[in-house]
Amino acid sequence: MSTPHPRAGARRWALTGLALLIVGVLLFPLYWMFNASLQPSHELLSIPPRWFPTDPTLDGYRAAFDSQGRHLVISLFVACGNVVITLALAAPLAWALAKFRLRFAALLLFVLLIVQMLPGIVKANSLFQLYSEIGLLNNTIGLMLAQSTLSVPFAAVLLRAQLREIPAEVVEAAALDGAGAWRTFLRIVVPMSRNSVITAGLFAFLFSWADFLFAVTLTSRDAITPVTVGIYRFVGANATDWNALMASAVLASVPAAVLLVVAQRYISVGLTGGSVKD
Amino acid sequence: MPAHRRRIALAAATTVLVTVPGCGLITAETGPNTLTVADYYTAEPGNTALTEILRSCGEETGVTVVREVMPRSQLVPKLLRDGAADTLPDLVLSDNPDLAKLASTGALLPLDGRVDTDGFYDSVLAAGSYQGDLYGVAPGVNGLALFYDRRVLADAGLQPPTTWDELRETAAALTGDDRYGLALSAIGTEEGTWQFEPFLWGAGAELTDLDSPEAETALTFWASLFADGSVSSSALNWQQSDVAEQFVGGHAAMMINGSWQLASLDAQQDVDWGVVPLPVPEAGDQPATPLGGEVWAVPEGERQERAVALLDCVLAPDNMLQWARLRADVPAHPDVAARLVEERPDLAPFVASAPSAEARTAELGTGYPAVSQAISTALQRVATGQLDPAEALARAQREAADAS
Amino acid sequence: MTMTPRRGPVVRIFAGSRRLASRLAALPNRASTAKYKLRSGALPAGRHAPLADPRTSKRQTLARLGFYVPAVLYLAVFFGYPLAANVVMSFQDYTVTSFYDGGAPFNGLANYAAVLGDELFSTTLWNTVVFTVASLAFQFAIGLGLALFFRRHFPLSGVLRALLLLPWLLPLLVSGTVFRWLLDQDYGVVNHLLLNLGLIDDPVPWLVSPDHAMAAVVIANVWIGIPFNMVILYGGLTSISPQLYEAAALDGAGAWQRFRHLTWPLLRPVTSVVLMLGLVYTIKAFDVVMVLTQAGPADATQLLSTWSYQLSFTQLHFGQGAAVGNVLIVIAMLFALVYLRAVRREQAGR
Repeated sequence: MSTPHPRAGARRWALTGLALLIVGVLLFPLYWMFNASLQPSHELLSIPPRWFPTDPTLDGYRAAFDSQGRHLVISLFVACGNVVITLALAAPLAWALAKFRLRFAALLLFVLLIVQMLPGIVKANSLFQLYSEIGLLNNTIGLMLAQSTLSVPFAAVLLRAQLREIPAEVVEAAALDGAGAWRTFLRIVVPMSRNSVITAGLFAFLFSWADFLFAVTLTSRDAITPVTVGIYRFVGANATDWNALMASAVLASVPAAVLLVVAQRYISVGLTGGSVKD
Repeated sequence: MPAHRRRIALAAATTVLVTVPGCGLITAETGPNTLTVADYYTAEPGNTALTEILRSCGEETGVTVVREVMPRSQLVPKLLRDGAADTLPDLVLSDNPDLAKLASTGALLPLDGRVDTDGFYDSVLAAGSYQGDLYGVAPGVNGLALFYDRRVLADAGLQPPTTWDELRETAAALTGDDRYGLALSAIGTEEGTWQFEPFLWGAGAELTDLDSPEAETALTFWASLFADGSVSSSALNWQQSDVAEQFVGGHAAMMINGSWQLASLDAQQDVDWGVVPLPVPEAGDQPATPLGGEVWAVPEGERQERAVALLDCVLAPDNMLQWARLRADVPAHPDVAARLVEERPDLAPFVASAPSAEARTAELGTGYPAVSQAISTALQRVATGQLDPAEALARAQREAADAS
Repeated sequence: MTMTPRRGPVVRIFAGSRRLASRLAALPNRASTAKYKLRSGALPAGRHAPLADPRTSKRQTLARLGFYVPAVLYLAVFFGYPLAANVVMSFQDYTVTSFYDGGAPFNGLANYAAVLGDELFSTTLWNTVVFTVASLAFQFAIGLGLALFFRRHFPLSGVLRALLLLPWLLPLLVSGTVFRWLLDQDYGVVNHLLLNLGLIDDPVPWLVSPDHAMAAVVIANVWIGIPFNMVILYGGLTSISPQLYEAAALDGAGAWQRFRHLTWPLLRPVTSVVLMLGLVYTIKAFDVVMVLTQAGPADATQLLSTWSYQLSFTQLHFGQGAAVGNVLIVIAMLFALVYLRAVRREQAGR
C-alpha cells in the first residue's frame, strides 16, 4: 500500500464507486441472506421477490439464538483450540523445514502438499474408527485435532516459506549468545514473523469455524455440537424454517464479519496515518 | 511490545483452556443411569414431541434419557460406525427402510415377545421385521395423500381428483401464471422414490422388476405431469418440506405429501386445505402407498433391558396417542387410530390406507437402497428429458442388478 | 523483515497473506524478495550454513528433533492412517455387516473393476474435469482482475478489499444454501433479474436441468473461490517492486505491455501456487454440490467426490466408495507431481 496522491482525487473516487459496485454485486448473496433473516418464512417465496424486509420480524433471530447460542460458543471454543494446535505443530515444523537442512525436507514438503488432497470424508471415516477406540468421540479436543488436519499442512507450508526469509545472521547471533534452538525460535523467530503466524492462526480459525464434515461425523451430542451442524439441523426433513435458518446463518457469519471490521479499522488507520510500506 | 502482547495472549489462552472444561465444553458425558437415543427428529413438531415423551417415560422407568439428534442422512452412517466401534446408542429411531440394513448387521435385539405389540397393524409389524424377526416397532406410521387448496378448486369448479386421468386433467386445469397444478418431490434421494412408489405399485409393478411394462406405464404417467407443465421442474430439487412450502405459499394448487405435514398446515392461516387419498389408476382401485415412518429399535448391549422397558412405555396406548397427535401420525394400533380420527377427521385418508400400506423393504431387504437410488435417478432422467421412460427403467434395472 | 511500528496486527494479516503468496512457491525469488536479499546480505534465502556445528550435543539434537518429530507423528496418525485404511478398504468386500463384526474378505481388484466398468464412471470423471477446470479458470481470471483493480489505490480500497473476503469465510453450508435459493427457478432473484433485464425469456432451470446444473454449481463455487485467488494474487502483485513499473512506464510501455511483460512473468510463481492450491481444493469439492443439487439432476453434477460418498453411504458399497476416493487421490497426486516437476525445472533453469 502507498499513500494516495492528492492529485487525481476525482478519478480515485470514481474507482471507489466502481469498487463499491463490484463489492455490491459480489456480496449480494450475503445481503439476500440478511434480508431473508428478517422476513417471515411464508413471504420468502413470494413472486416477485421482496428486495427489502418491509415488514421485518425478529422471530428468526429469537429462534436462532435459542437454538444456536450454545453451538456458537462451542464453535468459538473449538476454533480457538484449533488455532493453538495448528500453530503448536506447524510453526516448529516450518522452522525445521526452513532451516534445519533435513535430508527428507523435500519429501516432507511433498507430503504436506499431497495430504491436502485427501478427501474429507476419507479422513472423517477413519478418524471416527480411531476415535471410538481411544474415546475421543463426542469430544471437542478430538474435534479440534481432526479439524487441525485442514490447517496444519496449509500453515506449515505458509510458515516455512516465510521463515526461510529470516536472515541467518539473526539466528547465529542468538546462538552465540547461548540461546538454544527453542529459545531462539520462540524469542526471535516467532516474533519476527508475527505477520505470517497471525495469518496462519486466522486461517486455522476460519477453517475450523466453517468445518461441517468432521463436526457431523465426530460429534452427535447436542451439547458439544458446533454451529455448522446446528444450522444443518434446522434444515429438517419434515419442515423448513428458512427465516430462522437464515438468521442462524447470519449469526454464524458474525465472527468472520467481526474480523473484517477490526481489519477495516486498522487498514483505515494505516491509510490515514500515511506511509504503510511493505 | 510483541513479547508483552504474547504473554497476555498466552495468559488468556491458558485461562480459557483451564476454565472451560468446567463448563463442559470438552465432552458430553452421560451418567450411569442414562440411556442414549439416536434419532433424526431435528424439526418440529417431532423434536419437542420426542423430547417430551422420552422425559416422561424416563421418569416412569427411572432413567435419564439423552438424545443424539442428527440429520437424516447421517443416522445410518453413524450407526454403522458405532457398530464397528461398539458404541451403539441404547435406542434408535430410524426410518423404516433403513431397518433391514441395521438388522442385517446382527447388532439389533429381536423384539418378539419383549415388547407388547398385540393388535398392531400387520403392515406396521411387517415394516419392522427382517427375515421373519421383529427388530423395530413404530408407535405411529405415515403415508402419502393428496392435499388440495379448497378455494382454488372451488373457483375452478373442480372436485379433488380420484383417478390418474382426473389428476392429470385437474392439475393441468389448475396450472396458471404463477401457480402450478401439482407439487411433488422428485429429488434424487429416497424421498423422490418414496413419492413415486404409489404410482409404481398402483400400476401393478414391483420393485424387483423395474423394466416391466407396468413400471413403464407408471413412469410414463408420472412424466406426463411434468410434460404438461403441471409440475414445476424445480420438483427435481424439492424435498417434501419444500413441496409443503410451495403449497402453503399458494404456488401449487395440490400437493402429494405425508400426514406429518398436517401439523404444520394447521399452524398456517394462508391456505384453506383439504386432503383426500391418492388418486388411483382406475376408479375403485385401492391406493397403494408405501408405509412411512420411523421405527424404534434396540441395539444389543448391557442396557438393553432398560431400553426395552422405556420402549414399552413409549408404545403404551396413551403415549402412542399423544405421540401421534403431536406428529399427526397414524397410531400403530387400530383402536388408538380410531380415537385419534375422532379428534382430527382429516387424518382419515391416512388411517384408511395404513392397513394396506406396503413396507418398502419387504421384498428387497438390504437391497432396497440400491434400487431406491436407481429409481430416483431414473425419475430425474425422464423428467429432464434425457431418456424416455422405457430406456430409463431398463437402465435402472441394470443399475439395481449391478449394485446388489 | 523487521517490524514497522504502529501497524495493527490485522494489517499484518493481509501483509502476511501477501507473503504467503510469494513464499508459498518456495522459489528463490526475484523482485519480490529483493529487499530481503538486501537485508540478508550475500546469503540467498535457504542457502545458509547449517545452524548447528558438527559437535552438536545430544541435548541440542533432541531439542531439534522436538521441532519436527511431533508433526511427523501427527501426519502419520491423521493422514497416513486414514489413507492406509482407505486403500485397504478398497480391496475388500466391505459391507454393512463388516462394520459390526469387522470381517471383510479381500476381493482383489473387484471394487476397481466394478467402479471403472460402471456407466457412471466416465460421466463422473468428465463432470469432475469440467467442474474443476471451469471453476479454476473463472476463479483465477476474476480473482486476478480484482487483484489488479485493487492494486490501484483509491479511497476505501482497503476496506472494500477486506469485505470481498467474506464469501470465503462463510461456512460452505451457509453459502450453498443461499445459492440454492438465489438460483431457484421460480422464486430465485437471479432469474427474476435476468427476466426483468430482458436477457432471458423464460426462467432458467438452474438447478433442475441437466444442461444448467453444472453451470449453477460452478457459479457458486467460483463465487466461493474468488476471494482466495484475489488475496494471494494481490499479495503477489504488491510484492512486485513499483520501481519496475516506473521504469517500464519511462520506457513508454502501455498498460497491456506492462501486464504482459512485467506483471505476468513476475507473478508466475504465485500464479502456479494459486492454481495448484485451487486444484487441490476444487477437485475434492463436496459440500457445495451436495447442498445445491445433491449431485443431480440425473447425475448431471455427480463428481468423483460425491459419487464416492453415495457409493459408501447411500448404496453401502464401502469398498467401491473407497476405490473411487483413491482414484480421486491418484488424479490429484498426478497434478501435484506435474506441478513439482515444473517448479524444480524452473529452479534448475535459473
